[in-house]
Amino acid sequence: MLAAQALGKRYGDRWIFRGVSFELEVGQCLVISGNNGSGKSTLVRCLAGLILPSEGAVSGYETMGYAAIELQPYGNLTAREHLELFGKMKGCEPDVEKKLETVGLSEAADVPAGQMSTGMKARLKLALALQSDPKVLILDEPGASLDEGGRDLLDQICLNQRKTGALVVATNDPLEKRWGTHEICMGN
Amino acid sequence: MIRSKKDGGHMKSAWATEISAVFEKEIKTEQRSRAGFLTSLLSSVLIVISLAYGAFGSTLDGTLAAGLFWVALIFAAVAALPRTFLAEEEAGTADLLRLAARPHAIFWGKALFNCLQILITAVILVLLFSVMMGLTIKMPFLLIVSLVGGALGLAGTVTFGAALVAQGSNRTMLVGVVCLPLMIPLIMMGISSFRVALGVGEALGGWTSALGVWFYAFLVFSLAPNLFAMVWQGKRS
Repeated sequence: MLAAQALGKRYGDRWIFRGVSFELEVGQCLVISGNNGSGKSTLVRCLAGLILPSEGAVSGYETMGYAAIELQPYGNLTAREHLELFGKMKGCEPDVEKKLETVGLSEAADVPAGQMSTGMKARLKLALALQSDPKVLILDEPGASLDEGGRDLLDQICLNQRKTGALVVATNDPLEKRWGTHEICMGN
Repeated sequence: MIRSKKDGGHMKSAWATEISAVFEKEIKTEQRSRAGFLTSLLSSVLIVISLAYGAFGSTLDGTLAAGLFWVALIFAAVAALPRTFLAEEEAGTADLLRLAARPHAIFWGKALFNCLQILITAVILVLLFSVMMGLTIKMPFLLIVSLVGGALGLAGTVTFGAALVAQGSNRTMLVGVVCLPLMIPLIMMGISSFRVALGVGEALGGWTSALGVWFYAFLVFSLAPNLFAMVWQGKRS
């Protein structure tokens, strides 16, 4: 479903990581952990196709969802508009109301993202990541800005994802690490 | 490197739907901020007021008026159009777009939006020139053909230029540095057809120049989407 072969990323002469290989099947979850600056986010960005690896290759998935702290929604578009427009771009016809309900944003559907709290933005990014019912869901520190209700929601989303696809999570949170069936510790 | 991911991992969508979604996003964000439109409107009004004040009491000849019109249009375009990419980089939203749409669709969606914006600016400029400088348009159809082709050419060039410099420093200035030399042929042909539309010179020459403007636009839209895709993908390294 998702495989990486001898993946490496270098900026100038400095290798951020090198020789990362794994294979993920349906029902599996890869946890990527490590200290700050160890390259967790760089690795997940490589897996999501946002940056190109300096060596090695990523292969396997047809549809992918990605949510990360540094990903920014459009400040003057509402949650509903985000899902409608990005659904069209991705070529999927998601049930917008259902996706908003899944992430607990039904009440804030018409609030512009610029007026949302960090936690609400995190929920919006989750909804965008889930909108094409991805086979592989890649999350970078997903619970970092979520409240208790949001974390329960995230638990449920990750559980559901593993029923139909694979999950990659970059985190150091012990609660989130529990989802993992495989783990890569960066910097080691 | 072998990558078996299909189009970066998103589902297949019809090109037209994808382009229209990017276009719609640009319209909606512009409707809320009005930054690009106001910039081009203010530039246009300021330039025309300055020119009208400078030329107060004297009548502009068609050739000079055509040249001044294109100078105003180019400055309005270079000031306003690059925002479509620069704003994405400043707000950090480029990755969201990169994850959702294919590079060619992003280019077409943004370039068509920029084309609409520059066409509106051109219409306002024509009205301002007519009212404040007393210009009379003798061949309106030639003017329309030339302006639509010119707007397409301008929009394609500036959209590509903005994408090229979006991650650099002094971006707004760089867009001008990158785009202005590329636009010299367009400016020359645009002025040539515009002055004929104002009644100076042979009609055949005007139509030939208008054809040249359209050929320029065709060339830009044939090459720029592919070059843009390379630049857009290259930013991932």
